[in-house]
Amino acid sequence: MTIMMPAADQAVLARREAIIAALRKLVPGEGVISSAAEMLPYESDGLMAYRQPPMVVVLPDTTEQVSKVLKYCHENGIKVVPRGSGTSLSGGALPLADAVLLGLGKFKRVREIDFDNRAVVVEPGVTNLAISQAVAHAGFYYAPDPSSQIACSIGGNVAENSGGVHSLKYGMTTNNLLGCEIVLMSGEVIRVGGKTAETSGYDLMGIITGSEGLLGVITEITVRILQKPETARALMIGFAEVEHAGQCVADVISAGIIPGGMEMMDKPAIHAAEAFVHAGYPLDVEALLIIELDGPGVEVDELIKRVEKIALGCGSTTCQISTSEQERLLFWSGRKAAFPAVGRISPDYLCMDGTIPRAALPLVLRRMKEMSAKYGLGVANVFHAGDGNLHPLILYDANKPGELQLAEDFGADILRLCVEVGGVLTGEHGVGIEKRDLMPEMFSEVDLNQQQRIKCAFDAQGLLNPGKVFPTLHRCAELGRVHVHGGKLAFPDLPRF
Amino acid sequence: MDILKVRDAQDVEQAVRAAIASEQPLEIIGHGSKRMVGQPIATNAVLDLSALNAVTSYEPNELILTVQAGAPMADLLSLIDSKNQQFSFEPMNTSQLLGTPDIGTIGGMISAGLAGPRRIQAGGARDHLLGVHAVSGFGDSYKAGGRVVKNVTGYDVCKLLAGAWGTLSVMTEVTLKVMPRAESERTLVLRGLDDIAANKAMTAALGSPFDVSGAAHLPGSALRTTQEALGEIAAPDQSVTLIRLEGITASASQRAVSLSTTLKSFGVAEILEDAGSAVLWTAVRDVTPFAASGPRAMWPVWRIVTPPASGGALGQAIAKGSQGEVIYDWGGGLIWAALPPSADAQAAQLRKLVNAAGGHATLIRAPEDVRRAIDVFHPQPQGIAALGERVRNSFDPKNILNRGRMSRGPGV
Repeated sequence: MTIMMPAADQAVLARREAIIAALRKLVPGEGVISSAAEMLPYESDGLMAYRQPPMVVVLPDTTEQVSKVLKYCHENGIKVVPRGSGTSLSGGALPLADAVLLGLGKFKRVREIDFDNRAVVVEPGVTNLAISQAVAHAGFYYAPDPSSQIACSIGGNVAENSGGVHSLKYGMTTNNLLGCEIVLMSGEVIRVGGKTAETSGYDLMGIITGSEGLLGVITEITVRILQKPETARALMIGFAEVEHAGQCVADVISAGIIPGGMEMMDKPAIHAAEAFVHAGYPLDVEALLIIELDGPGVEVDELIKRVEKIALGCGSTTCQISTSEQERLLFWSGRKAAFPAVGRISPDYLCMDGTIPRAALPLVLRRMKEMSAKYGLGVANVFHAGDGNLHPLILYDANKPGELQLAEDFGADILRLCVEVGGVLTGEHGVGIEKRDLMPEMFSEVDLNQQQRIKCAFDAQGLLNPGKVFPTLHRCAELGRVHVHGGKLAFPDLPRF
Repeated sequence: MDILKVRDAQDVEQAVRAAIASEQPLEIIGHGSKRMVGQPIATNAVLDLSALNAVTSYEPNELILTVQAGAPMADLLSLIDSKNQQFSFEPMNTSQLLGTPDIGTIGGMISAGLAGPRRIQAGGARDHLLGVHAVSGFGDSYKAGGRVVKNVTGYDVCKLLAGAWGTLSVMTEVTLKVMPRAESERTLVLRGLDDIAANKAMTAALGSPFDVSGAAHLPGSALRTTQEALGEIAAPDQSVTLIRLEGITASASQRAVSLSTTLKSFGVAEILEDAGSAVLWTAVRDVTPFAASGPRAMWPVWRIVTPPASGGALGQAIAKGSQGEVIYDWGGGLIWAALPPSADAQAAQLRKLVNAAGGHATLIRAPEDVRRAIDVFHPQPQGIAALGERVRNSFDPKNILNRGRMSRGPGV
């Protein structure tokens, strides 16, 4: 393990049995798990290179229980790590040795479907896909669609501000929320928003979304649902040069077209995917674009023509257009299976998640190739091209000594490069522990201090999910101090009117 | 009064630091077009950002615009329009409603966060603010967010700053997402529906697969006070219900026909095209029936956000109880209410109805003495109010920035 977590509090660990007994009173029945064997499934999340058994697992099933557990932990100085389905790719739900792992998996009910207000009220353990399934009979769906949507929970989606293939057109989680109930570390229950388009006062829901479980525990969520587009069709376009594919993406957008999805794969990814699912991908191209247009039939047909023309103008070498739903899904099958496909050609892989300005794509891919040679590790790229979100998959073998470290160093170099070209460390997977120590690449200490002050407003003792997101922890008292610069001479140099 | 006209972000930092040292609160303004919104601010020092007006970068292919916070909205709108792009959230131009000569700056627009009709489809200002450089009440320059559309690196501080009315930080530079403008638009006009029937028609339209980008209802009473755009489409005392569709021409016109069929039980819809449609939505966005130059100039104006499907019932109850007038946007989810003048702008009665409906109400236009007497922003449950105050404190513990503009609470 190369990323260090905060040292365990031995005083808390010494009280483990008493803590477990107290928690059992708050969450009766099977809601408290403390045996090593039963805690095993909770040792890691989707970032499987990192494992850590928690002190104890608590699985409440009411907001009241969540509130009591947090209040107890708050009063007794015990850390808490919240967890949804455990699909985080950045280690957001990695347990701590001295912390309660608070699983929300029992919050599985869809509480209300309100078609007139186009809103669904759900508990946080409901999966992303289950929301769409619950409203499909009336032609509605929930738009954000992370690849893990079969398994990932909506509570986790809110915590991570999850995106997906369709986020260019339909936004991320934050753009599709109407309200939520959260329990603060003190045990206090807060409700923000509702079935209204906007919340009142400060946008607290906005700051909670994507806060990676550091600000509160989400116990209820109201999402916005949309009518399903009448139709969707996809183009599968091959290019002999990555630059041509990049130009095509830019030209589609400049033409005023916002596709439902616009995905790129590079040669190694195309080959891995084709070998796995036989989607009919061309193997002699350097880059493949899958562009999906959705909406009314007449609009989709027209835009397909326009995109095809743009692609030809950019030097496309192959172009297939789906003529049936079956064919559209076939085009997507390779892209959707890209991660497991790469898993077949390499014992292990690290999935990175930077975002770059689209124009920087050829440069970034070129530099990545050089890094690949330098580190002696392969890399395959899948890319949400429409919004510049890269997913380089670094291939390595954990059984070879030193290769995980090498892969992590390679990944860090890629993310530094993303920042260097004007992008960011993470587009949708979150900082978690994975990118925590890279935060200073993007933010100064002053920037990070301001973010941590917000944390202090929610959790002044820093008990909720510590060790995630921020590389250095400061005490709230220290962060809250105002430094008075200079004397009382007001605005000496400024022009007055 | 001291007016400090800053030249760059360092000036802002220096001014805030000096204000901290002298415990002198600052009023933050761009063009000052929305100064009369909010609780009156007690200060005699003004920080004027209007000279921070440069366009840092505009990359149409990246759908990204980075500008200094004092850049005039009028200039930015024509800049992005020249590339056939727009702010999709359709920011309101408050100049008619508030009776100001100017439409203000981008920083003011984001701080107010007043989105127009397309909010139901494209989100609000908060959904389009990608990154920010700002100076906190600690006197520190910081940045948050980024310059790409997809980013979850660190807390989403931009969400807090959008709609904070300048009480958390002084924004010095902002990065926004811009989007392509639609090729065409169509508006279905239904006439003579009462508020409840209109609300049902809008709900049906928004629940259809036709991708509605605007749904507004103007009762006959509100239309009596309107000339120009709205006056032309309305017969006296007859309400109009407007449903907008945008996209490529073939699609917008076909959806207009299909949606007319879906809504046929509400009457025969007239279909307006492009320029004829656009002018209506500008009037809805800017709330021209209650313009400061019109007959309702002296009436206080409330902005009420409520669950859309019951907006008609709420609006009707408000209008009846107050002898006032209402118009509806966002399919019923946004109600603008102009009420006959009173010492408290009828706040108590109005908020009772709004609370029961699950909404919240902000007093957008009223004389200073009225704004001093009541809560301009909707009073919140104690827990949220306290958390909000802790959040404000985490940016500005000395309460230097726009002190008391959003709250009459303690600490002011």
